[in-house]
Amino acid sequence: MVIEEIEVKEDKTVKELIDELKLSSPVLLEVNGEVFYPDENYGKILKRGDIVVLIPIIDGG
Amino acid sequence: MSVRRLNKILLYDEGAAQSLNVEEIAEYLRKKLAKIGVEVRGDPFCRLHDRISDYAKKIACIKIQDATRRMLSGQETLYGEIEYEKKRILGKTRAFGVLYDGLELQRIFWEIISREQRSLEFVHIFFTNRLFATWDEHDRRYHARVSVYGIPSIISTTGVVEAPAKPREYYLLKQQYEMLRKDLLELKDGFKGSFMDYDDERLTEVVKGYAMQAVFYYLIGYPFCEDKGCRLYNAHWQEELIFAQLGSEYEFCPQHKGLIEDENGH
Repeated sequence: MVIEEIEVKEDKTVKELIDELKLSSPVLLEVNGEVFYPDENYGKILKRGDIVVLIPIIDGG
Repeated sequence: MSVRRLNKILLYDEGAAQSLNVEEIAEYLRKKLAKIGVEVRGDPFCRLHDRISDYAKKIACIKIQDATRRMLSGQETLYGEIEYEKKRILGKTRAFGVLYDGLELQRIFWEIISREQRSLEFVHIFFTNRLFATWDEHDRRYHARVSVYGIPSIISTTGVVEAPAKPREYYLLKQQYEMLRKDLLELKDGFKGSFMDYDDERLTEVVKGYAMQAVFYYLIGYPFCEDKGCRLYNAHWQEELIFAQLGSEYEFCPQHKGLIEDENGH
């Protein structure tokens, strides 16, 4: 996984987005300049058109 | 490939090996990335003295007891373990015999960063001598790691020694030495130079490459390169690590070298 931007297609919560994405590694999210762990903000509403940056946490070695 | 604009690189020394020269790494990064400021912040806990007990407890709770069992969040911890972590945070011990969950450790360090600097514009790198591991769902066990890239990125000086595998021959001979109760130092001497060891004088040079992996993670979203001669190669063997960081004829592959040059406006 790489750091990537996605556009929210319809209003949904952070929890719904994370469930939908079925990510293989843990991520941080950046929404409107604010970075947070999804589980800190599961109820936050993402609006249609919002740009969400997925920031995967990657291990090495 | 989109390249992110970076504001500053911030280096923290969370009790890394004493042979690690963080100032030298900072100087290296300044030379490589002339337009990005590099600041050495030192001990990340130094301004948090009223919260040392909280952090000590949090860190004590993320110890891995058994590498074949996934750590449960909120696991119980003992008073003595919390006291040990307090000493460790306060720099009263630099012991490194404990294994931590790397993702949880990264998340604890995230809490230390001020809210306004929790962003991809600030490259936060924590150097530590704590050994950490991450859970692998494929073989359902923890694997020791050198680094975890995120906000912040953490690089383990103990991980450099312990995470990438040593030569297969070494492990075979080690079994024989243990069976015959022979001196393991003698065995290590036979392999001298072929893997990283504690107090290794090559440590700072090696860690410069891992710091660059952290920078690329922020810059282009991915820390690694497939080229075994590039410092961004994700080495799983000591031999690969030594080649990528010390033995290759070039530091970076043409693509990553080009990105560094672009960043410097060449």
